[in-house]
Amino acid sequence: MIEALIKIAIVIGGLMTAAAYFVLLERRMAAWVQDRVGPNRVGAPLSQLNKSWKDLRLFGLGQPAADGVKFILKEEYTPAHVDKRLFVLAPISILVAALATFAVIPFGSILPPGLLSDEPIALVISPGAGVGMLVVFALSSIAVYGVILGGWASNNKYSFLGALRSSAQLIAYELPLGLGILGVILATGSLDLDKIISAQAETGWWFAFTQPLGFFVFFVAAFAEAARLPFDLPECEQELIGGYHTEYSGIKLLLFLVAEFLHMIAASFLIVMLFFGGWHFWFITGADANPGWVQAILRVAVLMTKIFLVILFFMLVRWSWPRFRFDQLMAFAWKVMLPLGLINFVAVAAIDQFRTISGNTSPGMDLLCVAVAWVICIVAWVGISFAGPLVADNRPRADLNPFDIDSQI
Amino acid sequence: MTALLLAQTVLAISSPMTWGIGVGTAGLALRLAPQVAWQKLGLLLALIGIALIGVALPPLGEALPQVLFWLMATLAVLASGAAVTSRSPVYAAIWFAVSLLGTAGLFLLQGAQFLGIATIVVYAGAIVVTFLFVLMLAQPEGHSPYDRISWAGFAIPMAAIGVALVIGMLVGSLPDFAPVGPPSEVLHEEHVARLGGQLFARHLVSVEVVGTILLVALVGAIAIVIQGNPRRKPLVQESEAGR
Repeated sequence: MIEALIKIAIVIGGLMTAAAYFVLLERRMAAWVQDRVGPNRVGAPLSQLNKSWKDLRLFGLGQPAADGVKFILKEEYTPAHVDKRLFVLAPISILVAALATFAVIPFGSILPPGLLSDEPIALVISPGAGVGMLVVFALSSIAVYGVILGGWASNNKYSFLGALRSSAQLIAYELPLGLGILGVILATGSLDLDKIISAQAETGWWFAFTQPLGFFVFFVAAFAEAARLPFDLPECEQELIGGYHTEYSGIKLLLFLVAEFLHMIAASFLIVMLFFGGWHFWFITGADANPGWVQAILRVAVLMTKIFLVILFFMLVRWSWPRFRFDQLMAFAWKVMLPLGLINFVAVAAIDQFRTISGNTSPGMDLLCVAVAWVICIVAWVGISFAGPLVADNRPRADLNPFDIDSQI
Repeated sequence: MTALLLAQTVLAISSPMTWGIGVGTAGLALRLAPQVAWQKLGLLLALIGIALIGVALPPLGEALPQVLFWLMATLAVLASGAAVTSRSPVYAAIWFAVSLLGTAGLFLLQGAQFLGIATIVVYAGAIVVTFLFVLMLAQPEGHSPYDRISWAGFAIPMAAIGVALVIGMLVGSLPDFAPVGPPSEVLHEEHVARLGGQLFARHLVSVEVVGTILLVALVGAIAIVIQGNPRRKPLVQESEAGR
């Protein structure tokens, strides 16, 4: 009981700090990509204590604290035309769902017994949750409520449009997300995230290598579920002001923004654990179930490094790729991602069955299977791009009359 | 014989369970009344009914499961009552989702992990979200005056009596109220894998038939959409002429 409470405190504290500093990192990255300086001033305001001291800038590391204080002290305005109960419920539900996800996501492997307790400590809040992967899936579908309710309760055109778009997007991209996960579950035979990681650690083949198609599908779907650019249609500042949280201010807006960053962090955790071997790295971490202290700490470090790299990639993509148009978004989900996910599922099953029947477990067989998987990936990708080319032309289509264009949007 | 039946009846009538069901359903019926004062009385009666039923249930032994059970069970019952009695369809859908969360919590408490999570994924995550989607498009103002049914004075008491009878019969058919632990052979450590094995070995035909029916429904929906919106000829020539 106390152990679980300590873990909850560590996870929530770590996540909140991480979310705050990822905002700073994102702003600095944006500035770097756009050849600006970015927020680099706020540090320790020592001159407030003593006039003769100089302020410390600290590369803008004080910015998250300043932002947080600003959000909390700002006027928390509730417009008169909103549905007040749902207006309050929406940010709470989205943050609760985002935080609860981390109950089943491991943040390391396992700590050896002796120093802290007589038994090994699993570095996850609820160890032994046999359906961990499904819990993540369920909670991510609960997060849709926050968006829909926020948009509807605001009683505002822009909010409502944002909510409609996002519910359509989140529901559509749940399918490729699930298909990407299915391949991994089929290969490990378990829904437990810990078992999925150790399955990759034992063979040394991360699922990103053995199931490349599933990896691409899951990766793109995870971007869409986290509503990051190029999939940020729920918000799109330029068209909808802020989408579903246009009417929010103060601490309620902060809850929405934190939940958004938590979604991104959860998505990176899942990407790393399902496809990049979690805490495993060749020659460093080992694969046995009872690591020593050095290995246990190395595993946490490796996991955090991988997650940090994935988040950096999320932030780089944001400034490298323009937003999809809505019909492109839907066509991409149903005509590209869904068939690719199905092909991946069948391919994983077929390769697995082929290995079982042949009874050959040599490294050469592993290589052959990986090669076959990559060939299937490339062929499917090229085939899809010929069969249903995505209309990337953003000019209005002359061959459609206004009625048809309207129904697309 | 008659005396025994009479004694049983008297025992049943005097038990807190019977009173709880009666008072609770009366409260449910009052919640649907147009007057606000009656609605408040209905909420009070419903709470008293739940408390009475709770008194009749045997304790679980340990403190933590007991508290969790109370929390989840009360949440599920109250939320489903609110889902039935809410005037606004959006609120009704949200209360339904909350009652599903309570139900999923009860499943988890019994160790049925997959069932609990699947309830959330399928019902709360997919079906209720789709409901909400449609309701929001249809009724941005919440409820409208024509939602009030003129013959509600007859329907509501009948529905309440029906609910009371069904719950009473369900409770009466239970042998006794001893808490039942989760059956160990069903809830094996890898019960998800076992469930999958059962579904795709013993019930394979049913699964395939259900899948086919869903596919047919999907194709039918697409056919209806295409029929209502016939494909038009492109207007390239007109726009060319306009230039």
